Amino acid sequence: MKKPVLILGIGNYLMGDEGIGVQMANLLSKEVFPEEIEILDGGTGGFYLLEYFEQYDHIVIVDATLDEYPTGTIRLIRPKFAADFPNAMSTHDIGLKDLVSALQLLNKMPDVHLFVVSIESIQQQGVELTPEIARIIPELRSKVLELAHRLAETKSEFMLV
Amino acid sequence: MSQRIVVDPITRIEGHLRVEADIEDGKIKDAFSSGTMVRLLEEILKGRDPRDAWAFVGRVCGVCTSTHSLVSVRAVEDALGIIVPPNAELVRNLMFASLYMHDHVVHFYHLHAMDWVDVVNALKADPKKTSELAQSISNWPKSSPGYFSDLQKRIKKFVESGQLGIFANGYWGHPAYKLPAEVNLIGLAHYLEALEWQKEMVKVQTIFGGKNPHPNYLVGGMACSVTLDDMSGINAERLAYVKTILDQGKEFIEQVYIPDLMAIASFYKDWGSIGGGLGNYMAYGDLPTKGFNDPSSFKFPSGAILNKDISKIHEVDLRNDKEVEEYITHSWYSYEGGDQVGLHPWKGESKMNYTGPKPPFDHLDFSQKYSFLKTPRWKGNAMEVGPLSRMLIGYAHGRPEFKEVVDKALKDLDVPITALFSTLGRTAARGLESVLVANWAQEFYDQLISNIKNGDTRMAEQSLFQPSTWPKQAIGVGYGEAPRGALAHWINISDEKIANYQLVVPTTWNASPRDNNGQRSAYEAALIDTPVADANQPVELLRTIHSFDPCMACSVHLYDEHGKHINRISVVGD
Repeated sequence: MKKPVLILGIGNYLMGDEGIGVQMANLLSKEVFPEEIEILDGGTGGFYLLEYFEQYDHIVIVDATLDEYPTGTIRLIRPKFAADFPNAMSTHDIGLKDLVSALQLLNKMPDVHLFVVSIESIQQQGVELTPEIARIIPELRSKVLELAHRLAETKSEFMLV
Repeated sequence: MSQRIVVDPITRIEGHLRVEADIEDGKIKDAFSSGTMVRLLEEILKGRDPRDAWAFVGRVCGVCTSTHSLVSVRAVEDALGIIVPPNAELVRNLMFASLYMHDHVVHFYHLHAMDWVDVVNALKADPKKTSELAQSISNWPKSSPGYFSDLQKRIKKFVESGQLGIFANGYWGHPAYKLPAEVNLIGLAHYLEALEWQKEMVKVQTIFGGKNPHPNYLVGGMACSVTLDDMSGINAERLAYVKTILDQGKEFIEQVYIPDLMAIASFYKDWGSIGGGLGNYMAYGDLPTKGFNDPSSFKFPSGAILNKDISKIHEVDLRNDKEVEEYITHSWYSYEGGDQVGLHPWKGESKMNYTGPKPPFDHLDFSQKYSFLKTPRWKGNAMEVGPLSRMLIGYAHGRPEFKEVVDKALKDLDVPITALFSTLGRTAARGLESVLVANWAQEFYDQLISNIKNGDTRMAEQSLFQPSTWPKQAIGVGYGEAPRGALAHWINISDEKIANYQLVVPTTWNASPRDNNGQRSAYEAALIDTPVADANQPVELLRTIHSFDPCMACSVHLYDEHGKHINRISVVGD
């Protein structure tokens, strides 16, 4: 029996803003949620995350990306194939893409929502977020939670029927 | 006429490694390996509580996370004179063993097999013949003609959908692929089965480490409670689950990994004389059975072999400041003492000094600094670390378990012992040590259960946990064997805080740039004379580099945001 929703933060928190996904997961893990919603700090997990992808109906991933958008832009994308994942540009980048390819091949790809946060650069060391990224945490948190709750409710209605 | 090829990045996982090679008359004449990413973990750790270091170093990479954490707690325990209880040692060994079983299988099938197995050609295989072949090499049950035929249909559909996925980056149809279609199909089938299998294997980390990825460690022991009846800790039911996973792991290694490895190797025996490189091998040793302070009890013995001479094992002393030293002559760092000196890690410095071209660039100047990896040397020698080094050192020590598996593999393949010093030898050694580790895991498990039944449930030594009990100054070294090779962390503790912390990781040994004397490190040396039939498709180069199981994430400690070309190959006429 699959579980409803996993909020999965990925990234490397040793690399400043690149770790925004992990920082968000750690922040959320201190809050109380209904049992339909679980939180995981996926770190730089790569293949280690396969078992989690198979256990949930919906996965809400939070990750950093280097793209053409202004720093701190939060976008929600719906990747279906490995190629749809943005160049996360972190050390876990290829791992995640390989993981997604593998899930497709096994025909076990769950429903994935991906929040990407545009960051300026990962040319920094340290575990601190820059002020530009720290500033968007409340907005990111409410977007992630709004989606997760909506997905969880859809599921329970479905189960009642 | 020589051609320069650039492969960047070269790893399928985690981080950035760039290799430039000069090809002349179809062979590599010279090669340069550059780590193009830096992460100054050393700087992040300075001033922190030594008891927290494991949590930071565990993040350095997603692949051998727990080995870094393990070696970190060992460094702190060494500095403070903490001796961990036997059960904690056993739990650490069980996590270590299951990490190896997981990591080696994933490396073989998901990161290395595609260098040898042509997955597109697998679609041409005859399912019936594939079944007969599979059943002739193994008792593994998933081997019926129907199984292989269904798999082929699934893959065809996948490829026809236009989503190449994992198959996008291959050199399919390259003449260097020598396997019959049926062997390719077996390889592909087991690629998929190994994906399913691996997700069970990692659960041992979750059970003992509380979470995965990035499981929990503890200075002084382990942060878990193991009893037979406690419902909240790791109880009889959870332990039985661990046993099931270890059994399944051993079964997969013996019935799938090894038969596939041997079947594939039998078509590539010429690679038993390619890619040897340095001929110097080193292991620090690991898997204590009588406590970490008794290295003679380690399942993996330590030592160094020079010039392929396995009749003599040299002792390695990580505390001696004349043995392990790191050079930066060709690395983007500066030392207070200048570019020519080597520093023992207890006196190590990590001041960055990037002098390379502004990315994106076409070429690096190899007469100057060209990598974010430092260059470690042992008594001035360039050393290879990894499974082959561990197996050779165990063999040279005359350990029966090592001799048995190595001699059998040589006999089955009908190749001389010199075939070990090669790309094929490196890849085979990884499989053979997986067999040993899977067996040892059973022993560790039995011992743990026996201890608990006898009433010993101690899991952590906490008498020296409080900083008030520590000396004002302390230094320590934690070491061990990561799946990719010898790993050590050196720590200086001053006034309860980390004053210096240096990691020398396996990929630094293997992938580093030339040293102050111009000596090549293992990758650069191993590539010399590797044949390359088509410079636009250097699958042969990848075979040799991948045989080391490169993992750049931890070896360079910033980030090159321009390394994003996935396996970009560029060929430059010279």
